[in-house]
Amino acid sequence: MERAHTICQDGVSSGGVLAHLERLEAQVNKSHKKSEELQSAQAEESALETKIHQLRHIRDKLRAEVKQRQARAKASSANVEPDQTVEISEQDVLERKQENMKAILQAYHFTGLSGKVTSRGVCVCISTAFEGNLLDSYFVDLVIQKPLQIHHHSIPGFIPLEKIAAKYLQTDIQHFLFSLCEYLNAYSGRKYQADQLQSDFAALLTGPLQRNPLCNLLSFTYKVDLGDRSFPFCARLLYKDLTRTLPTDVTVTYQGMETLSTAWEKQRASHETLFCTVPLHRVFASFSREGEKLDLSLAS
Amino acid sequence: MDAQRAEVRALEAEIAALQRACEELPAPWEGTARVRKSFQETHQSDSKRWESSKDLKSHLGHLKSELSFLSTLTGFNIRNYTKQTEDLAKTEMTEEGIKKVLQRHRLSGNCHMVTFQLEFQILEIQTKENLSSVITDLNIIMEPTEYLELSEFVSRAEERRDLFMFFRSLHFFVEWYEYRKRTFKHFKDKYPDTVHLSEGSCSSCMEIHSARRPGFELVIVWRIQMDEEGKVSPKLDLLTKVPGRALELDRNRVIETAPQSFRTLLGVLGIEAALESLIKLLCAEND
Repeated sequence: MERAHTICQDGVSSGGVLAHLERLEAQVNKSHKKSEELQSAQAEESALETKIHQLRHIRDKLRAEVKQRQARAKASSANVEPDQTVEISEQDVLERKQENMKAILQAYHFTGLSGKVTSRGVCVCISTAFEGNLLDSYFVDLVIQKPLQIHHHSIPGFIPLEKIAAKYLQTDIQHFLFSLCEYLNAYSGRKYQADQLQSDFAALLTGPLQRNPLCNLLSFTYKVDLGDRSFPFCARLLYKDLTRTLPTDVTVTYQGMETLSTAWEKQRASHETLFCTVPLHRVFASFSREGEKLDLSLAS
Repeated sequence: MDAQRAEVRALEAEIAALQRACEELPAPWEGTARVRKSFQETHQSDSKRWESSKDLKSHLGHLKSELSFLSTLTGFNIRNYTKQTEDLAKTEMTEEGIKKVLQRHRLSGNCHMVTFQLEFQILEIQTKENLSSVITDLNIIMEPTEYLELSEFVSRAEERRDLFMFFRSLHFFVEWYEYRKRTFKHFKDKYPDTVHLSEGSCSSCMEIHSARRPGFELVIVWRIQMDEEGKVSPKLDLLTKVPGRALELDRNRVIETAPQSFRTLLGVLGIEAALESLIKLLCAEND
């Protein structure tokens, strides 16, 4: 532009030509730009076209692949189920029934009386428990013939098995079994109480617990402490009824030299009542708790 | 171009989705191997199953007969049983070497006319020295509920968590119940005009009165008791209804001492003979 102005001397047409030239230049530039833009747009467009083609190709391939896999997956699961569906579901039903029955057979143990059929007859299993504690089980193997016979058993010798069998076995087998249940559960319960006394409350006993195998005759000495005074007692528990876990006869005697005060005589009598009505180990549990209570009352 | 760009975006999105779908489905070569394997497995187990299908049916028959045998042997008919086991080691802090398992059991069935439903929990503790099993909870539902003696007994059994005592006592209760029913029915059949069962054969009372001796009535009350330890025993009592005039004539106070005498009679003759002797008292001469 400066050139145009400095060269031009005669005035009119030079500015015009130059301007024209400039306009032409600008036009060319513009059209160049335009064509560039057009070119780049075209380039971009074709690039996009290519890309779209490529993507379409990939997508079609994937669609086919997915279809194929789906078809195979269906086929493989279909292969397993053809006409066998009917037999399998019947099978399932039968197997479920079998599982259920097996479970119920096992559940009979919870009645305390269970049995298994043997080649000779039946083997009956008697379970025992005391206050929720599951204890020993015993078995009686019966031979089904006339007369019914006990083939062998695990009943301890001091349980009157022969007496019970003589009374009921031939006439009423259920009564025989439940009667045996009574004896065994009672024995288990007495044994449990004596064992608990020996293991948990040995500290309160002043001598060894004397017991017979049937656990229906117990004798022991114990003391009740009150401050610095100790009150020794001797207890004798007789369980005449072998189907019971509580004694029928209880005698508690005071071992000390002097005569008992009325208050302590009352205590002694209450102990007798306790032993008659509460399981042995729980009586001692209350003794140890009371001991704590008594100590506390002394301290205050 | 915008349309093109939009299409590109759409295609890319579709491709991404298809790729995800591909990942979820097994590759073709995996697929066939899997199909082969699973087919082999099912074919093998199928053949095992087919072989034992007959065995299964016969085994089921065997189980059924075992169950029916146990039911006859014990007198209990268990119809349903389920069990759940929970390993407490995962939820409770347990010391080394101690294993605690909590079992939840559900059991239902019947013993003659009584149906029961039990839910109980057993806690099994395994230490190095021994295994202990304790019933930690016991819930019993029994029907019918009109046997008052039973409901008291049920709460005692639940308190003590004494499952075996429940079944034992249930057996003896039902035995006595059936015996009472049979005995009453026997006498009703034998002496239809003299013996009256106001509540039917399931009643606990037997009334003895005859048109030939109006105004006199003997009522035998036969209860079935359960004591603290679940021991079942019958308790029979005699109630008398006598016209006033007869009482005046009763110088030996027989009526007054009747209940006591009845108990003695029971001890000497037993239940059936004692009842029969009372019935014969009011019976017609030529019976």
